[in-house]
Amino acid sequence: MATLTSWVEHLTTDVDSATEGMQVAGEIYPMVGTEGWLLLIGVIVWLAWHVVTHNNEAEELKKLARKSPGPNAHKNIVAEW
Amino acid sequence: MTDELGALTVIFTEFYYWITVVLMFLIHVGFCMYEVGASRYKHHQHTLMKNTILIPLVTVTWFFFGWWIYWAFPTGPYIAPSIMTESAGLVLGGGFGANELANPMSPIMAIGLNDHINGVFWAAFLLFSWTAASIVSGALIERITTFAFGILAIAIGSVFWTIDASWGWHFDGWMLKLLGYHDAYASGVIHACAGGFALGVLAVLGARIGKFSSSGEPRNIGPRNPWLVCIGLFCIYTGFWGFYAACNIPIFNLGPEYGLGDGVNFWTATNIYVTPTTLSGITMNFLMSLSGGLLAAYWISKGDPFWTYSGGLAGIITASAGNDLYHPIQAMIIGGIGTIIAYKLHYWVERKFKIDDAVGAVAVHGYAGVVGLIICGFVLWGYPSSGYDGLGYAAINPIGMIIGAFIMFVVLGFIPGYVIAKILHGAGKLRIPREVELAGLDYNMMEAASKDEKAVSSSNR
Repeated sequence: MATLTSWVEHLTTDVDSATEGMQVAGEIYPMVGTEGWLLLIGVIVWLAWHVVTHNNEAEELKKLARKSPGPNAHKNIVAEW
Repeated sequence: MTDELGALTVIFTEFYYWITVVLMFLIHVGFCMYEVGASRYKHHQHTLMKNTILIPLVTVTWFFFGWWIYWAFPTGPYIAPSIMTESAGLVLGGGFGANELANPMSPIMAIGLNDHINGVFWAAFLLFSWTAASIVSGALIERITTFAFGILAIAIGSVFWTIDASWGWHFDGWMLKLLGYHDAYASGVIHACAGGFALGVLAVLGARIGKFSSSGEPRNIGPRNPWLVCIGLFCIYTGFWGFYAACNIPIFNLGPEYGLGDGVNFWTATNIYVTPTTLSGITMNFLMSLSGGLLAAYWISKGDPFWTYSGGLAGIITASAGNDLYHPIQAMIIGGIGTIIAYKLHYWVERKFKIDDAVGAVAVHGYAGVVGLIICGFVLWGYPSSGYDGLGYAAINPIGMIIGAFIMFVVLGFIPGYVIAKILHGAGKLRIPREVELAGLDYNMMEAASKDEKAVSSSNR
């Protein structure tokens, strides 16, 4: 799981005389190589959010439309905390 | 980063863009305050949530595909070849400037020790995307569903403005090469595009109930809280500083980049096209165009605070296309001209086409942006649109800028906004029910709060 277990090793990986001074082991996040799966999960979460919140909003609007309190009703329910 | 000077340059650039991102956050704070101040009490909380929710929606889609589009589309595709790949197809590979850097599956799109710039540059562009979506948000208050707005916000924030930025706000963009397009601080690529998009949506969405009398006369639904509106606009001004800085590359050696000769160095700040300017100079122009807009708006609106503040913004937006090169007094005059035209056009369009733009977003961003592009074509006529001489870039010219303004406002703004709104409308998802609009989007929340308040105030333990 851990991409690195020693900073010293990570920062010196693959450094030889030809690439001296180059830091070649850049990635430090967990599970390097699973970026495609992470993207897929992200897209699924994003699309699911739209579906769920759309359904909630549609339900709420339908209920309020049915109640139809009128344009001035809100003036009588202003909370005076 | 193995030598100290190189490291200092990289870390400075990283920190520079980070600061611009933090400053630009204030633009969104300002837009939220502005919209809530302009909306009526019974719609407040939903108005705030609508604008707030665009932050995560545009952010995640910007990560998934928005950033990728910016780097893939400078050639059109198939309109003009890239100077990097020499192909007119999508720019999919080839190192810096290619969209492989923006591939959401690439390790560079995550924390890594070999790159200090991609993330902050991604974030700076993302904040521009929020702005584009937020411009649209204000125009639609009190009658659009949050679901529909979310779809529209993603469309403008992560797709359409990104395409126009790739075409006209990229050193390799085809609009520079063929049209001589120049838009240093985004009069067109953000403001005209988002303003046009908002107008397209408004044409389908319709006016708020009560906005027009039975004879078609527009009625004023003034801001409920003018102070919140004004403070919001002050925040937007403040964030705009960050936006201007973010449009620059803070330190760049143009000597080797332009091939000025062996050993010739010219360290400078550049604009987004990698042509030289100075942060110092654009700061003067920012303030002078703000002043031109404020002066003109105060005069034309007879001291109306809402329009005076909006006019300051319109002034900056009008001059932004050429603020990397204008003289400060030119910036002031151009800002003033754009503000007057935007103000007049707002009321003309409102009366003629019954368009209810609740916050004047189409005027301040759309019309002012278009005017700014056209003026820029005349004032900077003959300037090179790029520093890469000899690679086939057209010079800045009025015809190219007028065509550019049309592409920004109509092709990538109005038409997509209209079409997507039509689809949402056809599916019955665009507008809230009439009864809800009359009662107020917040009615259920207010009723629940009222019950809570009564229960608490009548209890004695």
